[in-house]
Amino acid sequence: MSTTTISRRDFLRIAGASVGALAVGQLLPVKVAEAARQAGLIDVDGNGYISTMCEMCVWRCGVRAKVENGRVVKLEGNPEHPHSLGNLCARGQSGLMNTYDPDRVLTPLIRVGQRGEGKFRQASWEEALDLVANSMQEIKDKYGPEAVVFSSTHNLSQVQFENLLNAFGSPNYGTQRSLCFNAMIVANQMTYGLEEPNRSYDGLKYLILTGRNLMEAISTSETAALSHAIDRGMKVVYLDPRFTKTAAKATNWLPVRPGSDLAFHLALLNVIVSEELYNRDFVQQYTVGFDQLAAEIRPYTPEWAAPITDIDAETIRRIAREFSDAAPNALAHNGWRTSNFVNSFQTQRAISCLNALVGNWGIHLLPAAAEGAGLGVPPQPPYPRVSAMRMDGVPWKYPLVPFKLGVFQELRNAMLSEDPYQAHGWFISRQNPVQSLPDRGKTLEAMSKLDFIAVVDIFLNDTAWFADVVLPEASYLERYDPLNVVGNKAFIRQPVIQPQGEAKSALWIYKELGKRLGLEDFFQYEDEEDYLRQQLAPLGVTLEDVREKGYAELPEEESDPFTWNTPSGKVELFSDTLDRAGFSAVPAWEEPPRPVDGQFYLLTGKVGQHTQFGTQNNQLLHKYEDEPRLWMNAATARELGLKDNDLVKVKSEIGEVNITLWATEAIRPDCVYLTPGYGHLSKGLTTGYGVGASDSVLHLSFTDPISGSQALSQTFVTVQKA
Amino acid sequence: MKLKIRLSEKLHLTPGITIMLILIAWGLFVAMVRYANGIGAVSNLNDTYSWAFWISFDLFCGVALGSGAFTMAAIIHIFEIERFKPLLRPAILTGFLGYVMVIVALLVDLGRPERIWHMIVYQNHHSVLFEIGICVMTYTTVLAIEFAPVLFEGLRLPKIAHMLHRIVIPFVILGVVLSTLHQSSLGGLLLIQRSTLHPLWWTPILPLLFFISAIVVGLGMVILESSLSSRALHRGLEISLLSELASYIPYGLGIYLLLKFADLAYFGDLHYLFSSGMMSVLFWLEIIVGAVVPIIMFSQAKIRNSANGLLIGSLFVVVGLMINRFNVSWFAVEHIRNLPLAPDFMTQTSYFPSFMEVSISVGIVAAGVLAFTLAAKYLPLFEEEEETAVHEKTSALPRIQVQSGD
Amino acid sequence: MANKNQYAMLFDATRCIDCRACMVACSVENNIPMDKTRIWVSGIGVSGQYPNLTRSTMVYHCMHCLEPDCASACPVGAWTKREDGPVVYNSEVCIGCRYCMNACPFGVPKFDWDKGIVEGPLIDKCSMCAHRIDDGLEPACVATCPTDALVFGDREELIAEAHGRIAAHPDRYVNHVYGETENGGTSYLVLSHVPFKDLGLPEGIGDEPLNTLSEQYVGNTIPVALTWATVLGAVTAGVHTYKHKNHKAESLVKETAEAAEEEIQ
Ligand SMILES: Nc1nc2c(c(=O)[nH]1)N[C@H]1C(S)=C(S)[C@@H](COP(=O)(O)OP(=O)(O)OC[C@H]3O[C@@H](n4cnc5c(=O)[nH]c(N)nc54)[C@H](O)[C@@H]3O)O[C@H]1N2
Ligand SMILES: Nc1nc2c(c(=O)[nH]1)N[C@H]1C(S)=C(S)[C@@H](COP(=O)(O)OP(=O)(O)OC[C@H]3O[C@@H](n4cnc5c(=O)[nH]c(N)nc54)[C@H](O)[C@@H]3O)O[C@H]1N2
Ligand code: SF4
Ligand code: SF4
Ligand code: SF4
Ligand code: SF4
Ligand code: SF4
Ligand SMILES: [Mo]
Repeated sequence: MSTTTISRRDFLRIAGASVGALAVGQLLPVKVAEAARQAGLIDVDGNGYISTMCEMCVWRCGVRAKVENGRVVKLEGNPEHPHSLGNLCARGQSGLMNTYDPDRVLTPLIRVGQRGEGKFRQASWEEALDLVANSMQEIKDKYGPEAVVFSSTHNLSQVQFENLLNAFGSPNYGTQRSLCFNAMIVANQMTYGLEEPNRSYDGLKYLILTGRNLMEAISTSETAALSHAIDRGMKVVYLDPRFTKTAAKATNWLPVRPGSDLAFHLALLNVIVSEELYNRDFVQQYTVGFDQLAAEIRPYTPEWAAPITDIDAETIRRIAREFSDAAPNALAHNGWRTSNFVNSFQTQRAISCLNALVGNWGIHLLPAAAEGAGLGVPPQPPYPRVSAMRMDGVPWKYPLVPFKLGVFQELRNAMLSEDPYQAHGWFISRQNPVQSLPDRGKTLEAMSKLDFIAVVDIFLNDTAWFADVVLPEASYLERYDPLNVVGNKAFIRQPVIQPQGEAKSALWIYKELGKRLGLEDFFQYEDEEDYLRQQLAPLGVTLEDVREKGYAELPEEESDPFTWNTPSGKVELFSDTLDRAGFSAVPAWEEPPRPVDGQFYLLTGKVGQHTQFGTQNNQLLHKYEDEPRLWMNAATARELGLKDNDLVKVKSEIGEVNITLWATEAIRPDCVYLTPGYGHLSKGLTTGYGVGASDSVLHLSFTDPISGSQALSQTFVTVQKA
Repeated sequence: MKLKIRLSEKLHLTPGITIMLILIAWGLFVAMVRYANGIGAVSNLNDTYSWAFWISFDLFCGVALGSGAFTMAAIIHIFEIERFKPLLRPAILTGFLGYVMVIVALLVDLGRPERIWHMIVYQNHHSVLFEIGICVMTYTTVLAIEFAPVLFEGLRLPKIAHMLHRIVIPFVILGVVLSTLHQSSLGGLLLIQRSTLHPLWWTPILPLLFFISAIVVGLGMVILESSLSSRALHRGLEISLLSELASYIPYGLGIYLLLKFADLAYFGDLHYLFSSGMMSVLFWLEIIVGAVVPIIMFSQAKIRNSANGLLIGSLFVVVGLMINRFNVSWFAVEHIRNLPLAPDFMTQTSYFPSFMEVSISVGIVAAGVLAFTLAAKYLPLFEEEEETAVHEKTSALPRIQVQSGD
Repeated sequence: MANKNQYAMLFDATRCIDCRACMVACSVENNIPMDKTRIWVSGIGVSGQYPNLTRSTMVYHCMHCLEPDCASACPVGAWTKREDGPVVYNSEVCIGCRYCMNACPFGVPKFDWDKGIVEGPLIDKCSMCAHRIDDGLEPACVATCPTDALVFGDREELIAEAHGRIAAHPDRYVNHVYGETENGGTSYLVLSHVPFKDLGLPEGIGDEPLNTLSEQYVGNTIPVALTWATVLGAVTAGVHTYKHKNHKAESLVKETAEAAEEEIQ
């Protein structure tokens, strides 16, 4: 907090708009969640607790929302939800402030000024939905459905978003995945035949975290599990060029050279294989390709890795031995946002193989159930055949990237280059690509080429700022969403308060749009409650029960964990699929680019007080955030003649930003770090606007040809006094 | 033999009075802003410096500087050293006005001045501040009673004045007791700050040190106030009396210094004397200005017997005491900002009194001075001076015309 | 003496990840204005030299002293140490003198500097969520802490728990539970891997409550006053008798006495 330089006056400015969190809500009329009252979840005075789910990040912890006089006054972690276990993180605690934010968009908006001018007029849903549907239809009629790009980041109503997209017939779907964890997902697909196994920390003794900053990039239950394991005495090796809050808890912090994690892991494999420290039984019984792997990794000795990684050979060797000593209670964590370098896929493959060598499958890595399994779905006709190819090159350029989800930054590039064809419309929901995509300038340019942009959001986010129509979704405390399955329970999100203003649920919005696009048959649910009833039908429980209890129990499915959905049915250390696609079939070294003299690796990474690009306007989080500054090693700063709190100019090949400097010991001398999510363009975010700078302005677009991952640490910058 | 009271005499708006009035008006204005928008609107006080200029100046200095009243009352009424009598009334008035000023200042400083009576109703018998509050309230009343005869004389109600005179002794005793208590208790107020007040100042005998220094400064104030008022009001100076008072000061200060250093030695804190940076400087400043210099000056009859010597020597005493009170209540208090804890928006890391903050105190002082001036003009404050005062002509002191009754 | 069976909170700095969920939770639970907070995480952060670094965080709020100085100091008794642990505030009686802020060795109470006489400024500090305790709930900050860096429970049990943790990992902790004895003991207990002063906790505060001396001092007021009054009365009488005898016998202070008499007339 010492880095906070928000002055008292700033706070007064904010406080002026709202004395206290709840006072803000008091500015808005109270709308008691009538249904909740009828269901007896809240009493006649509008007091009670309602079970629902957090949506401040994709972890979706269980929440028990406290309602007083029809107003939500506090959110508590639901002890029955495996993701919260009774706890909420700072973002989860602040959730009601998102709902009561005075900047909420509460009626549909239609642009009146130039794009990006931020001039809108309020409109009725009729008018706004008609406009969106007509514009989309017009484009479809003129250029084909593929000329409308759809994009959205993981959320619970995404099934219906995808339903709209598929019914509409566009192949062009952009998700956050290529910016986030595609490297990890594709690597797991290739190795284990599933996207992401569940991790268990029970009894774990040794953990290697590769840039997985769990103490700041928080998933409440996993963060807690890690913390408890450390308490118990588990050893943690943590690789990160920054001394993060996770590094502080690690047994061993290794300030690895960015992009060289692969060399480290290859060297671990080398030691474990050459010293025969692997789990022979597991390898023999359940894996394929050990010999090829063993042969290929022979050159990757710790001595080879040391100069590449800046981690000395002895340390690498020691860690390899400790890791295998602890087996099978040893785990190499894949990481989550693994989009760091174009070689990140290989890093992920190496990590996946490392786990296989110590045989922790079934103990610390567990098969994960498919999303939504066991629940009913509304009936619908088959989707129209899509004839157009995806704009982003999946699969024709990126054969191994999961087809459905695409490569977002390439989609954007294609909008700009009009190659392979021209896009004309963009329908975006719950996503902020203007900020989350690398190279903001490019994104804005691509948008300027489009005929029509519609955004579904709860705020006038940076993307909505450039939209033609903004459709206000009800906040997560005001709406139903499809059920969310965690473990063997399906959890409910339900309105804690009635939607404010004219805001509506996404389920409603998509259905209404579908109707207007002549796709009514694809949306065979009366309303949100009907949707949930259809989901619950196979389980034989009533919606009322689920609302009361917060979840429905799913029948336990017995399955053999020791079968894998790979071509060989085994864990593939050698992947035929990779081989046939022309990529290295076993993990192999790929030299990442390095900054030249005077340049720094530009690092990005989450902070515990914000989620991505959508919470910086939350007054409660703003209150307790650190001022976003550029981290630079103190000695380096001295060499450059820079002091703490100097205003500096950070320049990459494509852009520059000004930001204050934090001269700190907590980062490698060849790196700088900028907190993502700041530097908003939208003046509709009165709390967040004007704070910090956007790293997306600086980020170059690089796509890993195997996983489609954007390489977010591969941008090099110079820093000088502004 | 009495002074003719000239209530009918017109008050001339001399430049001095005009300035006072302007200062008072400005202070009043600032006070209004404070009541409307909060203490933070006019002062730089903050959660780190919750007590600073106002408390140090208005309360700590104010109360100590008002101690002339009880000192003189004791000398004259209890020890019946009656030759000092001419000094009594102005001393009582100074004390009374001083306490009224303290109370007025507290009404500005308290967050909830309208609740000041809560002290009487919701008593916390463990609180030193409660004790001080009650003592100050009672003592101010006592001072009013002690001063009342002068007022009634002024109002030409000698009967009442006479009556009050007869019962003055118990009140004087009460006044001395109350003064002893609350003068020491201001030191007692800081006992609880053992962990935050610098060891050069914090000691369990703080109350005793406060009491002794209050007596000394009481003498100093009588001298100073006589010297100043004699110049301002063009009045004669009671040099021989003042000189005698001044001769007591070195004893008082000597005892004070002895206790102070014995205490530092006893608690093993002597090493702080030169090793605490700014704190050491402040400590020595206070000791040299407030004790060493006055001891040297007032040990010399020549200085004691000169009007300038008295003025300057007493100034040292008073300023030295003020430095001491500022030190203990503000400068030497380790503020929690030194603990690297609070986020910036919670903790101002620095404090310097604002212009408005100071102007409230200045306005109050101006009001006090004006009240004293008016009292001197209209009330029999300096009675009998013709007989007892030894008028000495000095170049700085023009002989003053006093109209006497007969 | 303080109640043995009282609630307390235990903060373990080795577990805290500086996520600030506790702070947001407190702000919401207690409806704290945006420019205020009852709880804060120290900003000490990183220390050492690259690459040999440590990091410490301290969640800081009211210590809920067993013998609170704020309560001892307050002239109107606005603070109460509840039997079950929390030190709570009575906003109805506070006069806004801010002595509690000075008296608290931990710099805890905060004041409404920007409220005028109509809004009525008050003091604010952590209440241990006494209202939640009354409802059978843990304090909001504790309830949400994802890593159990903050836990709530019976003070004696927590002290035992804290010593248990030290015993289990002597290499990890400073061998002391801050608050077990400091300032007479507190109901907020702290475990740390770095010296407590690096967490910003005042060291050398001692085990004797700060208010012991001042309470003794105030306790002596009445006897001292009575004795002093008696002495002064006696002295007055003595001096008076002596002087008047002398006056008659030797007329030494004749003029003075006459002057006095004149004055009395
Ligand atoms: N509080 C909070 N929690 C979140 C989120 C959030 O926005 N806020 N978002 C959620 C989401 S969507 C995701 S994907 C996860 C992401 O969580 P993480 O996987 O932890 O990803 P980041 O925080 O983006 O980056 C982690 C670290 O990678 C480091 N890094 C950068 N380049 C390299 C490199 O080449 N090698 C190594 N070893 N490290 C490198 C950075 O310094 C950073 O500290 O967090 C989730 N949890
Ligand atoms: N520079 C940089 N870029 C990154 C990353 C990074 O660390 N640094 N991280 C990458 C990662 S890991 C990810 S996952 C992506 C995320 O990228 P995005 O998904 O584009 O970003 P978010 O901020 O998660 O976007 C969420 C949007 O949803 C809105 N929103 C919030 N609640 C609701 C709701 O209830 N309904 C609707 N309709 N909208 C809502 C918010 O206002 C916000 O505009 O970014 C990637 N890009
Ligand atoms: S991790 Fe935090 S923000 Fe994400 S769902 Fe859980 S409580 Fe909400
Ligand atoms: S919630 Fe827990 S881990 Fe997070 S800052 Fe507070 S005490 Fe530390
Ligand atoms: S920490 Fe301060 S405010 Fe809290 S009980 Fe102790 S003295 Fe009172
Ligand atoms: S500010 Fe209020 S609570 Fe604090 S000591 Fe003064 S009267 Fe008591
Ligand atoms: S106990 Fe309650 S009042 Fe105190 S810091 Fe925690 S949440 Fe805030
Ligand atoms: Mo992500």
